[in-house]
Amino acid sequence: MTIRLTLNGEEREFAAPPMTPLIDVLRDDCHLTGAKPVCREGFCGACMVLVDGIPTVSCLTPIALVEGGKVETVEGLTSADTPPPVQAALEAHDAVQCGMCFPGMVVSLTHLTQPGECDASRAAIKAGLTGHVCRCTGYERIVDAALAVMEGRQ
Amino acid sequence: MSPLSSPAIIVPETLADALASLAELGADGTPLAGGTWIMRAPLRDEPMAHAYVALGRIAELRRIKISAKRVEIGASATHAMLAAALERCDDLAALRNAAAQSANPAIRHAATVGGNLCARRFPAPDLATALLGLDASVEVADAAGSERLTMEAFLAARGALGPGRIVTKVIVERTGHRSAHSRLPLRKAGDYPVAIVSVAVRLDDADRIVEARIAVGSVEGVPRRWTALEEALAGQPIAAVDVAAIARPRADRFTGRDGVEAPGWYRVHVLPVLVGRAFAALTSAAT
Repeated sequence: MTIRLTLNGEEREFAAPPMTPLIDVLRDDCHLTGAKPVCREGFCGACMVLVDGIPTVSCLTPIALVEGGKVETVEGLTSADTPPPVQAALEAHDAVQCGMCFPGMVVSLTHLTQPGECDASRAAIKAGLTGHVCRCTGYERIVDAALAVMEGRQ
Repeated sequence: MSPLSSPAIIVPETLADALASLAELGADGTPLAGGTWIMRAPLRDEPMAHAYVALGRIAELRRIKISAKRVEIGASATHAMLAAALERCDDLAALRNAAAQSANPAIRHAATVGGNLCARRFPAPDLATALLGLDASVEVADAAGSERLTMEAFLAARGALGPGRIVTKVIVERTGHRSAHSRLPLRKAGDYPVAIVSVAVRLDDADRIVEARIAVGSVEGVPRRWTALEEALAGQPIAAVDVAAIARPRADRFTGRDGVEAPGWYRVHVLPVLVGRAFAALTSAAT
């Protein structure tokens, strides 16, 4: 079974077994290692990618179910010259953490800070980030950065 | 390396095709909805099926129809779709909040109503508990036809529906009850609730309880009604009744399951407080 999808703007074909978790195809076949298979239970958010614009836990998503879809990993969330607003804000607020949970948070924040997706409040941002677990630092500066993007301050 | 073996997957576009595929596969085939439970089978040391029939691309299974009399929810509607669709249905606040609060945003975008009802050995289903409180019915279909079961009958039979059968929709009659959903995760959100209490209450003109349906989830292996408390509350004035006090001596009707997040006794111990919160939410919704 050949599975076709658009990955970070590129049309790709995969011959992986259809129930293979998307995360394994991304990491093992495409060497896109930003998404991490940490809990494989949908609790930690480290494997988060965008599928058709929606944050999706790639550890629980069979590759066959994204046939024809548009997948964006953290590696695809770039722009040619300057970082996208979320990434610039995270840097400006000194919120960048280690690479384990953080790529997933960047993916969800990219979605969350789109107009109309989330109220510009700390409570709403924290609710929106439910399912992202950081075990080493904290969340407050990440929330500061998201709030700054939503309020157009970054 | 993938922890999974290599089952086949069929992705039909119509319900008829899905039922035909499942009929052909027999015991070798299993329906696949959002995948959030099935994809964790290896972590539970459970075998994968030989073949899955994915239901997510069947348009009629994703529809939610809302009328003044009832709500019909296609089994492949996700938690996120359901929460959004019920935004203005305050009588179904229990179901709306169950859909909006369970798990986390990414899971709510993937996990479906049918999956929540059918996940085998999943003891903490918010939707199934809310639907039990709302006295919903479940439509189950196979290639030969369909039948409707009450939620109670469905919960008793789930896991034994037999090959070739799928849940196609859930029907909730809008009968003038008020409803509320109360759950206790150990963190504010994102983990499985220690206990769930979902209530639907009908009042008379004097605001006395005519009928209280109280469903309890996550305490035992399968959600069930708290009938001893329901009976004790009948006839009580909603504004004055101390629900938690009446619930306390009746909590021993449940035998809590031990789990990594909480011991069984604790799940039972929190029930009076949770049911009190649910009734408080009902009362505040009425004013």
